Amino acid sequence: MPETDVLLASRPHKPAVPQRTNSIEQVRSVCSIGAMHTAAAIPRAIPITHCGPGCADKQFMNVAFYNGFQGGGYGGGAVAPSTNATEREVVFGGAERLEELIDASLEVLDADLFVVLTGCIPDLVGDDIGAVVGPFQKRGVPIVFAETGGFRGNNFLGHERVTRAIIDQYVASYDPARDGAREPRTVNVWSVLPYHNTFWRGDLSEIKRLLEGIGLKVNILFGPESAGVAEWKAIPKAGFNLVLSPWLGLETARHLEKVYNQPFLHRPVLPIGAAETASFLREVAAFAGLDPVVVDAFIAAEERIYYSYMEYFTDFYSEYWWGLPAKFAVIGDSTYALALSKFLVNQLGLIPALQVVTENPPEETRSGIEAQFATLADDVGAPVLFEEDSYTIHQHVRATSFGHKAPILFGTTWERDVAKDLKAALVEVGFPASYEVVLSRTYVGFRGALTLLEKIYTTTVSASA
Amino acid sequence: MTKELKQIAIYGKGGIGKSTTTSNISAALAEAGYRVMQFGCDPKSDSTNTLRGGTYIPSVLDLLRANARVDAHDAIFEGFGGIFCVEAGGPAPGVGCAGRGIITAVELMNQQNIFEELDLDYVVFDVLGDVVCGGFAVPIREGIAQHVFTVSSSDFMAIYAANNLFKGIQKYSNAGGALLGGVIANSINTEFQRRIIDDFVARTETQIVQYVPRSLTVTQSELQGKTTIEAAPTSEQADIYRALAQRIALHTDSKVPTPLDAQDLRDWSASWADTLIAQENAAYHPHALVS
Repeated sequence: MPETDVLLASRPHKPAVPQRTNSIEQVRSVCSIGAMHTAAAIPRAIPITHCGPGCADKQFMNVAFYNGFQGGGYGGGAVAPSTNATEREVVFGGAERLEELIDASLEVLDADLFVVLTGCIPDLVGDDIGAVVGPFQKRGVPIVFAETGGFRGNNFLGHERVTRAIIDQYVASYDPARDGAREPRTVNVWSVLPYHNTFWRGDLSEIKRLLEGIGLKVNILFGPESAGVAEWKAIPKAGFNLVLSPWLGLETARHLEKVYNQPFLHRPVLPIGAAETASFLREVAAFAGLDPVVVDAFIAAEERIYYSYMEYFTDFYSEYWWGLPAKFAVIGDSTYALALSKFLVNQLGLIPALQVVTENPPEETRSGIEAQFATLADDVGAPVLFEEDSYTIHQHVRATSFGHKAPILFGTTWERDVAKDLKAALVEVGFPASYEVVLSRTYVGFRGALTLLEKIYTTTVSASA
Repeated sequence: MTKELKQIAIYGKGGIGKSTTTSNISAALAEAGYRVMQFGCDPKSDSTNTLRGGTYIPSVLDLLRANARVDAHDAIFEGFGGIFCVEAGGPAPGVGCAGRGIITAVELMNQQNIFEELDLDYVVFDVLGDVVCGGFAVPIREGIAQHVFTVSSSDFMAIYAANNLFKGIQKYSNAGGALLGGVIANSINTEFQRRIIDDFVARTETQIVQYVPRSLTVTQSELQGKTTIEAAPTSEQADIYRALAQRIALHTDSKVPTPLDAQDLRDWSASWADTLIAQENAAYHPHALVS
């Protein structure tokens, strides 16, 4: 028996519980001010950061560079102005410096919306950001602010703060007499976290394409297929909000329900593959009261193409079975971890061995996430581990029994070493994906699932030579 | 042999007479021939006023606000008896971080080796006494003051501030921070006040360095913008400050105090309040009037 098989055979079936380290090695989320990318993801919006030197750059290099090499674009990366707060701003407060920076930014930058985000320094010192930004807003400058000091949580929570800030300070009131009647067939989409999710642009494009396919008008809000701030201004007119993630965006939808009396549909599973996507579209259609004939025709057309590719794919899949992994581990944010698990279990028949959710979701959302994983299929459920520290996560990976075949890991670049040790296939599907160049690629919907299959099995077969 | 610089921090609740006491200590030390710096660590920047005829001096942070680089010498002003007067200063009320300001000001003096260059015998830090954040604890942290004294009256709130300071000292004592020299008991004019403050120092295992009575001489001197040492050098009060300064000059061994926890402090003050009420009831009891 080769040495690795001895090791595999001797592994306990239940993961040993590693000792907690109280530290985080190899981060899987960034500071709250990383939500500057939420602003930068809106076409022609520019974040203004009020923080120490290096804070904003670090967010950019982490989230938008060494993560799919996505780049800064119009308003992100090197474009985003910063106060570069120093000791002077700590001792005397940074309000004057911020005001000076906003003035200067208005001179040299052309944007439809500016979003001021604060880092730890002004939030600790207690700078009154509202008092600085308020007069600009009164002058009619399209500018909002969000307090995103690091101690307020990670970039997921920062994203919630920024979207809330834009809604409350920029979108503001809705008056049917002035703004026109509500459009029942328009939907606002709250889903993957822009930039942090490596494939967000492609994913949002596919979601938009699908929803348009069944007859909706879509405010996708972020990315190249968004109409920018005009879409944000139109949020209150939409018939409903769609939250397409286990928890991210849910608070926003609840807030919109409260302020605009706007209903929302919460669908925790981001759809990957024909079955999940069709189910998703039918649920949305029923919620929005769309014509079933149109919906069914769209789904049928998509399925015809999808399953046609599947038909050809089955030759490979059935012949090559001996070289393909049977058990998988997934390590990522709850949206992708859940979406992938659903697809892998239901469409490929793979066996879940370890599910790790890494974005430290708020405590009150965890039982809901656990419930989703417990019902991946009628007869398949899996426990879920909430863990941020890669050292601990990798201990769990090493302690997991994957059977006699090499497993497949869906994770990040941080899993490269453990994957090598286990001779596992690794598909990098989340932050940080530092060896992937990503433009419009998507892994969701009908089209994304095909790309995902290509990626999974290219990775697998290429390891055999 | 090079002489050893002695750095002393004096803490106390705002308005308790801390700057008055500190300035008189500095003045008495200067009068005795020592080279002294008084370093005010309070955003109000009025610690050294009575050493300079009642005038304000630009603070270290005033200079830092106006200039990227500051020569520490520009923040040092001569006062009574050649005392080097420095004010750390701070931001406008309600903005910025005053605690960080004090750290910045003390660091600037250290970076430019001012204490050594001026060949000082004493640096006396006059610090806002509530130790509300890390910045106000800077003088008691490693490498700054060796001895801490606290000015306290027998008022409960002053004792509360002193107790908080003791907690700060206790916290930093394991990391080489300054230890407590004792309590300067200010405004102690009655036996009862004396018993309260004596009981507090006994319970917290420290000592009284000097009892300082409330005196009109001090007020008169301050109104002239002077210390008592300068304005009324032959007064009894001036001699009390001289005795205090001498004790501080001779003081060598400071200790870690044992601060009371919140409940103990409350119980302790309540017991003294009961005693006070009992005494007053006895004094005003009708029987007391007829007897």
